[in-house]
Amino acid sequence: MLRDVTLEVRRGEVFGVLGPNGAGKTTLLDVICGLVPASAGEVTVLGQVRGSRDAGLRARLGVLSQETALYDELDAMRNLRLHASLFAVADAPARIEELLRLVGLWDRRTDRVGTFSGGMKRRLAIARALLPDPELLIFDEPTIGVDVEARHAIWQYVRWLRAQGRTLVLTTNYLDEAEALCDRVAILKNGEVVTVDTPKHLIARAGRCVDVDCPDALASAVRRRLSDAPEIVRVESRPGGLTVFTGDHDSHVERIRELVASEIGDVRVDVRAPALAEVFELLTSAPPR
Amino acid sequence: MNPWWRSTVAGARLEAALLLRAPLLLVFAVVQAVVFLVLVTLFGLTGSRAPTALIQLDHSAYADAFVHSLERAHHSFDLRPMSAAEAQDRLRSGELVAAITIPAEFTSTIRSGGTLPIPVDVDNVDVDLTDDIQRAVPSAIAAFGRELHLPQLRVTVHETDVIDHDTGYVPYLTVSALALDAFVLAALLAASSIAREWETGTIKLWRLSPTPASAWFVGKLAVVAAVAMVATGLTGFVVVAGYGVRPRDPLACVATLAGCVAIGASCGGWLGMVVRRTAVILPLVFGLALPLYLDSGTLEPERFDGDVIWSIAHVSPVYYAVGLLERAWHGLRVTPEPVWLNVVALAGFAAVTAVAALRSLRRARLR
Repeated sequence: MLRDVTLEVRRGEVFGVLGPNGAGKTTLLDVICGLVPASAGEVTVLGQVRGSRDAGLRARLGVLSQETALYDELDAMRNLRLHASLFAVADAPARIEELLRLVGLWDRRTDRVGTFSGGMKRRLAIARALLPDPELLIFDEPTIGVDVEARHAIWQYVRWLRAQGRTLVLTTNYLDEAEALCDRVAILKNGEVVTVDTPKHLIARAGRCVDVDCPDALASAVRRRLSDAPEIVRVESRPGGLTVFTGDHDSHVERIRELVASEIGDVRVDVRAPALAEVFELLTSAPPR
Repeated sequence: MNPWWRSTVAGARLEAALLLRAPLLLVFAVVQAVVFLVLVTLFGLTGSRAPTALIQLDHSAYADAFVHSLERAHHSFDLRPMSAAEAQDRLRSGELVAAITIPAEFTSTIRSGGTLPIPVDVDNVDVDLTDDIQRAVPSAIAAFGRELHLPQLRVTVHETDVIDHDTGYVPYLTVSALALDAFVLAALLAASSIAREWETGTIKLWRLSPTPASAWFVGKLAVVAAVAMVATGLTGFVVVAGYGVRPRDPLACVATLAGCVAIGASCGGWLGMVVRRTAVILPLVFGLALPLYLDSGTLEPERFDGDVIWSIAHVSPVYYAVGLLERAWHGLRVTPEPVWLNVVALAGFAAVTAVAALRSLRRARLR
């Protein structure tokens, strides 16, 4: 269930929706697509308010759902032909060929989709979403369940789409994917928007990470000591030490050094920017310490 | 082509392509229809040809005439001449339902106008068969007396037939079986076809397309209905060519079966939308269809089975379909309702189930 979600996606950007399982990512996409009606509020897509009779709007969307929703018994060509006929795609044979070549499936065009790997099915589903040349693309976890090679191939298509000036909304559980592909991301938690920003700003907003090396036996004592300091946002254990999240001030880092030294003497302390995964963890998990 | 037709044609083409890629399913659809016909036929045969021993101790013309009357008694005996000892043996071992003995003094007693008991030993393991024997023997005696103009015979039956022709039990059953075949096949294929769209998630495609989902639904069900109609037609051909049961009004038969298929497809479509799982479709359709079938005038006109059962039968479309089919095939009137009312009832069922199916499609939540 979504609560008080207010978002705006700009034309031509790749907008990521992140969140733990059950956060409401797919529900949000379904509301945008019109598969699930919003119980309150208003959804405006491509300048048009979402309603029950918006066939014209549906023709301007390209959707890739989590389940690829292909007919396994039919070949790749026939799957695309069916979609082309529903969307009245002009010069469908040429368009189908162009897209099958784009996703590298032209040589497998007459093979039954049931014989395809998960990655190939995803690529075919992407081709299908692109078939009507949509203005807005909505991808629900486009790389879920595919191998690394297929994942990178899908990233390439997304980058290509962005270069073409397409607007794309995607959900993902992979933070490196969001960091690599998205211009902006929204983080959802329990159906609410926690924050919306660019990955770069989110990382900057999260302050700094201080990796403290210390023996495991002393880690809990150091952790207790650090937890009392108001400058520290969160402390996490890692192999061979602790990771301490703090604000973006040199004084905070110095304070951490002092606190650690007071507990176990001088140890190695590295300061770095947090990864998006760490920011995500910070924003979506229970409060600190 | 407007969006509605585009979607209908796309749905129909898709369903045809999917069915053509599953030829075994098509074969099984036809086989299932014929097997059901065979099942009903066996039911009719097992009930109507009770193995009965004939112990004939008198071989005069009178005795032969009586045997002839017994043989002609409807829906009762499969007479097997044998000795008294063999009959007793086989009766006790369960191979016979009854043994009828024509005593040695049969002719002399009849000639003298005396009363002669006809010994009948019955294996009353099933009271239904016992009742059949009890009804059939007096009936055969009456027929025998009438044919031989025996004034001294005390039992007389004056039979006036309501219908100008007799209809065998098996031909009666098989025609009504066709109605159920049409329903079950169409419902099964339609329900499976729609449920699999849910299972594979492809239903989303249709909801996301700019064409009306209802048109796609209609297109798919149209192909399914065509397949069910062909399978029912082949079963009908078996009835005509194999059983030699010819319809009096072939056009009315085809129209009634087409109505049954339309209702079955609509019901199946609705069921597929609601259940969304192919695995439960088969038991559900058969579970729902068989009681409706039995309570629809299939075994005999339902009005003979008591007011309550007859009233319940009215909620089943099979009741009206059997009424129409028996009239079109055999010229029988098995429902008190006139033909036009049966037609209206079937059309009403088709309309209501189609609206229910489309409504559930429109209201279905995809998550």
